[in-house]
Amino acid sequence: MSAEILLFALAAGLAIAGALAMVVQKTPVRSVLSLVVTFFAMAVLAVMLAAPFIAAIIVIVYAGAILVLFLFVIMLLNLNEEAREKDTRPAQRVLGLIAALALGGILLGATLRAGSPPGVTAGGGPRIPSPDEIPAVGRLLFSDYLFAFEAVAVLLLAAAVGALILAKRRVD
Amino acid sequence: MSPLAGVAPMSVPPEAFLAAATILFVIGLVGALLKRNALSIFLSIELMMNAVNLLFLAYGRMRGDAASHVIVFFVIAIAAAEAAVGLAIFVAVFRVRRTIEVDRLDLLKW
Repeated sequence: MSAEILLFALAAGLAIAGALAMVVQKTPVRSVLSLVVTFFAMAVLAVMLAAPFIAAIIVIVYAGAILVLFLFVIMLLNLNEEAREKDTRPAQRVLGLIAALALGGILLGATLRAGSPPGVTAGGGPRIPSPDEIPAVGRLLFSDYLFAFEAVAVLLLAAAVGALILAKRRVD
Repeated sequence: MSPLAGVAPMSVPPEAFLAAATILFVIGLVGALLKRNALSIFLSIELMMNAVNLLFLAYGRMRGDAASHVIVFFVIAIAAAEAAVGLAIFVAVFRVRRTIEVDRLDLLKW
């Protein structure tokens, strides 16, 4: 067994364990911290898929910014624990679990059966990271996807202003 | 298609990445369906988006195409915008209703 397969098993196992912990945890703070573990493991998987830039922004933007924002809101709203009231719809929880697992089985079967996209040669599997990835992404971002890039910039500005207006306390 | 130059084949089969991404997506779906707290549901949705990002990267790797990285970059940027607005909505709802349990936010239900 090569070191790469070992690393993949470790990272994928850690990601899935963190995700499961996120769903099982009752306290929102613990859910967020479990998800941080998952995102770090996913960053490792991204590096294995030759995407070091994406791995960096997963750690910086997701684990560093978005999840910290979640933590701030949890502290702000003082959500120490999910309200443990009587479950009003036990049947729907069971049905939801069955539906999700059935959909998961179908998706897993379909993706594995579909295999490689057309035009991929036998040697086209995952490869080791290369320092050439970031210039390639940058060139694409500022040529083919320039309009989308600028639109995302406007969207982020609009979201920041919108969040401010939504969360602002009304002064009557 | 902009190829990723100078990279060698790796020993992990690409299907393993696809399977891991699908499993993570389903865990996120289970969380989104079973959780009652709006914040936990939102967290599950973030996990689902990241699982899809992983799928994009795996397929991009199989095709040797850097465009998948650009798409993932956009997904992450939009997730950041969505998190900011969504969390602001939760704060605003909490101010009025003193709860963000989705079962109790049924004003528009009947």
